Amino acid sequence: MKFKKYIPFVFFIGCFCMKNASAQVTITADTIIQKVTQVMNPAQSKAKMKMTIMTTSRKTRTFVYQAYSKNHGEKTLMKYLEPSRVKGQAILMLNNADDIWVYFPRTRRVRKLATHAKKQKMEGSDFSYEDMGAGNAFIDEFGSHLLGEGKKEGKLCYKLELKRKPKSSSGYSRLVMWVDREDFIPLVIDYYQDDDSTLLEKQLVLSDIKVVDKIPTPMQMVMFNKLDRTRTDMEFLEVTYKVDLGDDLFTERGMKK
Amino acid sequence: MRKFFCATLLSLLLIPQLGAQEVDIFGYFEPQFTLIYLDGNYYQLQSNKLRVDLKSNPVENVEFGANFDWIVYHGKRDWNFWDFIPKEVTSSVHPFRRYRYQFTYEDRNFLDNAYLRFSFPSFDLMVGKQQISLGTGYAFNPTDVFNFKDLMDPTYEQPGHNALRIDWPLKDGFSLLALYSPESSWQNSGKLLRLKGRWGHFDFSVIGTETEWTVTDYTYPYYNFITTHQRRMLGGDFAGELLGLGIWAEGAYNFVEESKDFWELVVGSDYTFDSELYLMLELYHHSLAKSDYRQYDLNDWLRFFYQEQKSITRDQLYCFVQYPATDLLKIGGSALVSLSDGSIAFVPTALYSFSENVELTLIGNINVGKEGKAYGNNQGHSLLLRSRVYF
Repeated sequence: MKFKKYIPFVFFIGCFCMKNASAQVTITADTIIQKVTQVMNPAQSKAKMKMTIMTTSRKTRTFVYQAYSKNHGEKTLMKYLEPSRVKGQAILMLNNADDIWVYFPRTRRVRKLATHAKKQKMEGSDFSYEDMGAGNAFIDEFGSHLLGEGKKEGKLCYKLELKRKPKSSSGYSRLVMWVDREDFIPLVIDYYQDDDSTLLEKQLVLSDIKVVDKIPTPMQMVMFNKLDRTRTDMEFLEVTYKVDLGDDLFTERGMKK
Repeated sequence: MRKFFCATLLSLLLIPQLGAQEVDIFGYFEPQFTLIYLDGNYYQLQSNKLRVDLKSNPVENVEFGANFDWIVYHGKRDWNFWDFIPKEVTSSVHPFRRYRYQFTYEDRNFLDNAYLRFSFPSFDLMVGKQQISLGTGYAFNPTDVFNFKDLMDPTYEQPGHNALRIDWPLKDGFSLLALYSPESSWQNSGKLLRLKGRWGHFDFSVIGTETEWTVTDYTYPYYNFITTHQRRMLGGDFAGELLGLGIWAEGAYNFVEESKDFWELVVGSDYTFDSELYLMLELYHHSLAKSDYRQYDLNDWLRFFYQEQKSITRDQLYCFVQYPATDLLKIGGSALVSLSDGSIAFVPTALYSFSENVELTLIGNINVGKEGKAYGNNQGHSLLLRSRVYF
């Protein structure tokens, strides 16, 4: 009789375990990466961001910029607001950062950068243009497979390995990513060097996840450069996803305004 | 000095007024020290430049922008182009004429840019003094008939030009630019039309201009004989990527009234290595310039120095290299190679980020060519130390 009493509970637990077991079995690396790309690249966004670079000599450099994004990160525009040295400078990335233009307000000149420039540090930070721009880079530039699951930053995560595709222009040979099982936010990404897939070059840590306009958003991002022993902190000062950005913004005309 | 006080007073009176309309005030202060070694002597030239920028949006879709520059010079301010011309050329000219080619770095206070931009739904209209930047070239811009770049520092800001400009964005990434730079009459005013577009990962443009070109004959015995020619330029440029390399080209054919037509072409490529070493090469051809340095004459030298002609030597190679030695220090430099006469100028550079808004720049200039060549050692050597504080 006693056992009968527990039947519904056992059934529930059983179903729950089966559901999780089936999720573990059925979910693939491709699905996870697609969900990550979806979560990290909302349809449109407008944000004010603060970037703080900690240099090798322990000096800090702080930049504030306005960032606009459209078509799930396919189009990105960044305009520097601070400091005065770079105020008005703008970076436009189209086609998932395959096309990059930089606008220099003091000379009113727009310069197109080739994809090799994606490796360059953005304003001397630990973020490269590649790190900042590509909305679907995890899908287009890398092939992924699931390594397993584990705890990272106190949360249960999927552990994925992303290997660079043969024709990719990415500056990293492979990535290892821990993705939060609940909201598919990548909590930690390890970036391995271009020509040495065993050498850890950088590590990105995302934290302080808040729901903004129904979208989970990591308000803090820190890129650690493991080789130079520097770090760059990035934080959202303001962010909204409820915007209607015109295509005209993502043009040379939009950069200059 | 009186001008300086007037301008300062005017600014002080204006700034509070503008402040009421949320005017953004920024700019920089730039002290600069140059050490020059010429003909066995060392000279010093210092300058202090203060640039104040104003920017405001008085009403929606209207932008006001302006900048005022104050530049004061100290040290050896008086120079003579004569001293930079090979002795072989000047020896045949009466020494008395050397006084015609003197120039002085005069203190300057001027309104560099002052413009209004009206943004309409389908186009932008910009009126007033404004910078005009044309072409995809880094060191050389054949299609830019309005500016003259300093090869030692090609990215330094260019002066503003009085102009009326309309930018029309068209479909599929295309845009049209029409510009009119008024002078005393329609004939001698600058006109420009440019169609810009995108094809794949390439940007390209087709451009046509009409300007007045001033050419001086410096060989006249008692005065410099100035002639003006109507110059019509048809050109184009592109920038893109090929086999992983950044590539660009810019060319212009100039139809000159009552004078010889000429053409200019620049082809460039760049690459960033994994170590973040950046390398750039540009090849430049100017058909009006001479290929044999023994034929460079007084007019060639002076037209180049007075910025009437962009090059004295026909074919040139510009190499630029930059490497981030630390996260605060970039070192590198450029080499200007005359392929026509074999002379070279080395321009070592260093850029140090002292703080967020303070940077230090060091630019050297070492001419190693034989006297008489485009980068002959008779033109001396120099070292420039520039600091810039942004506010």
